[in-house]
Amino acid sequence: MTRREVLKQMYAVVVAVGASSFLSFDDLLAMDKGEIAKPNLVWLHGTSCSGCSTSFLNVEGVPLVDILTEYTNVVFHPDISLATGHQVTDMLERADEYKDFIFVFEGSIPMAMPHACMLGDKPMTYWVDKLVRKSSVCIAAGTCASFGGITNMEGMVTGPKPLADFISYQGIKKPVVNLPNCPMKPEQLLYVLFYYLKTHNTPELDDEKRPLRFFGNTVHERCTRHDDFTRKKFAKKIGDEGCLFYLGCQGIVTKNDCPINGHNGNTNICIKAGHPCIGCAGKYFPRKIMLHTYDDKRPNERFKVIS
Amino acid sequence: MSKKVTIDPLTRIEGHLKFETTLNNSGVVTDAKCTADMYRGIEKALIGYDAKVAQQVTQRVCGVCPYAHAEASALALENAMGLKLNKNGYLLRNLIVGAYRLQDYLLHFYTLSALDFIDITAITKYQGKDSGLLALKDWVNKELKSGKIFPAAPFLPRYEAAYTTNQNLNISAVKHYLESIQAMAEIHKMVAIFGGKSPHPVAIEAGGVTTRPTVDALMKYETLLKRTKAFIKDAYVPDVKAVAKAYKEYFKIGKGTGDLLNFDFMPDENGENFLFIGGSTINGKFEALKDTKILESQKYSYYKDGKKDYAPMEQDSEHPLSWYEYEREQKKSNGKYSWSKAPRYRDKVVEVGAVAQVVNTYKSGHNPELNRLVDSINTELGIKLSDYNSVMGRHLCRAIVSLIVVDRLEKDLNKVVPGELGFIEKEVPKNASGFGFTEASRGALAHWIETDDEGLIKNYEMIVPTTWNISPKDSKDRAGAVEQMLIGTKVADANNPIELARIVRSADPCIACSVH
Repeated sequence: MTRREVLKQMYAVVVAVGASSFLSFDDLLAMDKGEIAKPNLVWLHGTSCSGCSTSFLNVEGVPLVDILTEYTNVVFHPDISLATGHQVTDMLERADEYKDFIFVFEGSIPMAMPHACMLGDKPMTYWVDKLVRKSSVCIAAGTCASFGGITNMEGMVTGPKPLADFISYQGIKKPVVNLPNCPMKPEQLLYVLFYYLKTHNTPELDDEKRPLRFFGNTVHERCTRHDDFTRKKFAKKIGDEGCLFYLGCQGIVTKNDCPINGHNGNTNICIKAGHPCIGCAGKYFPRKIMLHTYDDKRPNERFKVIS
Repeated sequence: MSKKVTIDPLTRIEGHLKFETTLNNSGVVTDAKCTADMYRGIEKALIGYDAKVAQQVTQRVCGVCPYAHAEASALALENAMGLKLNKNGYLLRNLIVGAYRLQDYLLHFYTLSALDFIDITAITKYQGKDSGLLALKDWVNKELKSGKIFPAAPFLPRYEAAYTTNQNLNISAVKHYLESIQAMAEIHKMVAIFGGKSPHPVAIEAGGVTTRPTVDALMKYETLLKRTKAFIKDAYVPDVKAVAKAYKEYFKIGKGTGDLLNFDFMPDENGENFLFIGGSTINGKFEALKDTKILESQKYSYYKDGKKDYAPMEQDSEHPLSWYEYEREQKKSNGKYSWSKAPRYRDKVVEVGAVAQVVNTYKSGHNPELNRLVDSINTELGIKLSDYNSVMGRHLCRAIVSLIVVDRLEKDLNKVVPGELGFIEKEVPKNASGFGFTEASRGALAHWIETDDEGLIKNYEMIVPTTWNISPKDSKDRAGAVEQMLIGTKVADANNPIELARIVRSADPCIACSVH
């Protein structure tokens, strides 16, 4: 296979994530020749579960490592880097020396208990502050980093802040892109990376700093069972056909592109798996009651949004 | 003079882990401390949520093995409901959790561990024609000449050590390292077919699996399963064996306590006759699992309750140290040092994971196929069952489990009745309690649940595989399982302590799980 053919294969990923409208094959050739500089990439885990990193590995077509090395310079990723121990803290301490770098953050930042997330004997607050200040753009990968998610459910004691809140709390001005979804969808992150390396800017965002391209509609609006909803055909139990609203579906209040771009290379979505949307990309995830029976008689306030 | 060697952070594991070792004059580890450096407090935060929320929330304890928490949580609630699944329910659940297990073991071997043994720089001498490898070769060569601060990151810097010089092994493993990422993405698709998505499959609920298995979905699963099986048989297992042959000494390094614990995993369509048999091996003696005599110590854990050991569900709240108290402990020579607690089984420090599954199932004699496989591999590699208590034994056991599971998935897939829902709906039981035990990728996993008079969670508890393995010392000052694996290891170069990293990574620690 020639170099050009390898790059063609690589470009298929650009097409697959919808970035071909602004990133051409010629751009890729120019990048290969070093005519377009690749941005650096530093990835850190706060109080996370690594689900977003695991999900990120699931990009279709070409090994993720190839994509990363072709389009970016990965300075550090906790699950991929061979660097261990002091090699890692050295790399992070020298963040000032990297020109133009993208900071990707997974999980949230425990503010009330800084010792609840430590790296190299220093709290995560230290590292995030340092890296954010030096970065060109910050990406909050997943619901925890965007809105707090599981780490900030009612009952938590660590006082976690999502990335954007932390940044404004520290008085730093820096562009942030939120990519909620539990876990983050790999295609969305690649889209933002490609957009940035071509334009040095973020794609158009909504009030919650989410790319409009993915978060412009609710799941409900484009749901495969939307027709059932308008005809008032409701599922009464799991396995029934019909709209899942009365079993606890959150699609009606959750902005996401699942019905168009499903999970795992469009293999499936929760609603097609017979399960109500759990609203994992929403600001109020997780809710106090999620999946329930059709005739659940518990008092209404039990179903209310919390957090 | 003794010397301290600290690795902080240990990368290529799940989460935030630090460990500190003391080396004597000859470079041998005499003391080790594993510190889980992250805390969220999920289980007690669940109190007040609907019982079915536990499934979705607890699987988010871990993005690497969410399937196991989803299953354990569903099992706990089913136990409280007194519910038995229908045949498709058991089978579909196996198809989700079994596939996920394969993904996790590929991730552990290739992405997380292989490059501790394989020399990635061997790629610069590659002479073949594989386009992926040539691209990598070009890239590494360009990087090394680039004058960057950190050329060839994320592959460099690394601990410099005597990596294998077997060029064939290096090249084939690097090739499979790249290919494994695609193989894993395909297995995640298998999970998503019935689970909805992966990571974090929604469809495992108390009552079975919510996805109706269409013929179409079953066929799609079968296609992906065939490719997965081929990768496991042609790439993964041969690579593990080749690394085992190249690093024979690692069947002696990283010896743990030898006491093992595992729970049942993968029932048949009637919910019986498990593929892996739960039990314990204490002092070399196997016993099937009858009860769970578990007590957790918090003496060295960052919680205020350190005076006594607690049984599961004995506490309904947790009391983490404040920053001030934490700093005070840090200054003590014998202070608390981890967010992980220290569970002990029948007052023993036990190791959980693939070795426990393989050794205990072998000793139970309930799975002749597994025994034949173990015997043939042992003959091929010239090792004994007792050698499994080692770094290489742990890698090897994951490969053995993968072979057994992939064969079982084929059989289970053929038993699924197309079109029939594998889910029985039942209301959340009020004022009830239940437990769910299963095997996660990293070992024995247990969830307990108690509900109140509205079906909301009154108390919840998880005791998780990595909590067993990377636990700190307990109330009797006995070191945890991984700490014991480290003690006695000779470190050749204190600036590049690869032996220690290899040992800890062989246990595949997951800190998000262990502390939750």
